[in-house]
Amino acid sequence: MSEHKQPDLARRELLGRGAAIAAAGVTLAPGVMLYGVAQAKPADEPVSSKVRWGMLVDTTKCSSGCNACVEACDKEHGLGNEQHSRDGQRTQYIRKVELRHKFTGATHSLPVMCQHCETPPCVDVCPTGASFKRADGIVLVDRHICIGCRYCMMACPYKARSFVHEALTDQRPHTPRGKGCVESCTLCVHRVDEGREPACVEACAADGSRAIIFGDLNDPNSEIAQRVKTYASSEIRADLGLNTGVRYQGI
Amino acid sequence: MKRLLQLLSMAVLALTLSAPALAGEGGRTPLPTIPAAKGDQCVEDTADMRRNHMKYLKHHRDETMHQGIRTEKYSLKQCLECHVPAEGSMAAGGKESEGHFCVNCHVYAGVTLDCFECHATKPETTAQFHPLVSPAAMKAERPDSNGLLNRLVGVTENKTGVAHE
Ligand code: SF4
Ligand code: SF4
Repeated sequence: MSEHKQPDLARRELLGRGAAIAAAGVTLAPGVMLYGVAQAKPADEPVSSKVRWGMLVDTTKCSSGCNACVEACDKEHGLGNEQHSRDGQRTQYIRKVELRHKFTGATHSLPVMCQHCETPPCVDVCPTGASFKRADGIVLVDRHICIGCRYCMMACPYKARSFVHEALTDQRPHTPRGKGCVESCTLCVHRVDEGREPACVEACAADGSRAIIFGDLNDPNSEIAQRVKTYASSEIRADLGLNTGVRYQGI
Repeated sequence: MKRLLQLLSMAVLALTLSAPALAGEGGRTPLPTIPAAKGDQCVEDTADMRRNHMKYLKHHRDETMHQGIRTEKYSLKQCLECHVPAEGSMAAGGKESEGHFCVNCHVYAGVTLDCFECHATKPETTAQFHPLVSPAAMKAERPDSNGLLNRLVGVTENKTGVAHE
């Protein structure tokens, strides 16, 4: 059931090269492209490793002080309903991080969430199999299995995971959460399976920034694949070689 | 032990028969209240669902969680869609006495591992927790096997079978 299908890296490179010759989106005007909208998969169809969901954050469009993505995430998943936890204990799926280059003084503001690693350390260390990666690259915690040992929190280089310290009420139907389990950004898997975008992406666009785009990195025609192909983008802590699904532009 | 078995078989028998018919005044055994659901027929026969709903749910939960299969049949969300009114069976609609479909039976049967420590107890619009599994109620004692026995033998002060606060 919980067999972890690790996409083949060599195959990934091949697909990457394939992208160079595959047809791109339709050009409407110079610089304006029309990309195919991701189709929702039929409800009874399992997710496939042909897809690799990812996000690209353009930090040049993300402004310091804007918190739209964080607010949208909290609302979407019903976060922030802890009554007794200290601030440092409250669940955070996504947070804003302000960077300042010590020498140049350049500043960046960027959202950081679970990076949906291709080779996730959280999955490596999980003793129960609760941390797992779906075939389409989304890393999740199966809270039916999680024993709350928090090894994954220690292993995650991005501090992406939170532990629920208390009994909760008022959960959203699509995001069950409870005491004693670890949780993190789900890439809004409930939306993605319906063919919708994650809540943060939607909120950022609605706010006019459009700093985060979401899509299938394996689909050469998707906007995200085109962007990462055309512009330099990087991973946070690229040195770890985790091949994250969340990439950043401008840092 | 013999008494326990007797009582258990009584409970099973009572559950198998139509609950409202027996739950009426004069019934010797207190029974859980089963609020009415949408539609005529559940996804399987009632008897089958009574015995096996947890197996169906568990199977479907693994498929949903790990493979993203989100069909409605056997999904917990769909149970709630039919069995629990969004507009609060507990608060709105004056149906408070009827309680929550799943929780009523779970309390009656002493099932402490139910889904609702994590899952919402109501369909979308007003997703809220049943008072029973609110943190306050969680502190309150869950019925242990003795408490359950007492109930079965006829502790009748609680006619709905639900420990309302
Ligand atoms: S960012 Fe952390 S939680 Fe997310 S997949 Fe990577 S190691 Fe796991
Ligand atoms: S806390 Fe849960 S998900 Fe994390 S390593 Fe332990 S069992 Fe796995």
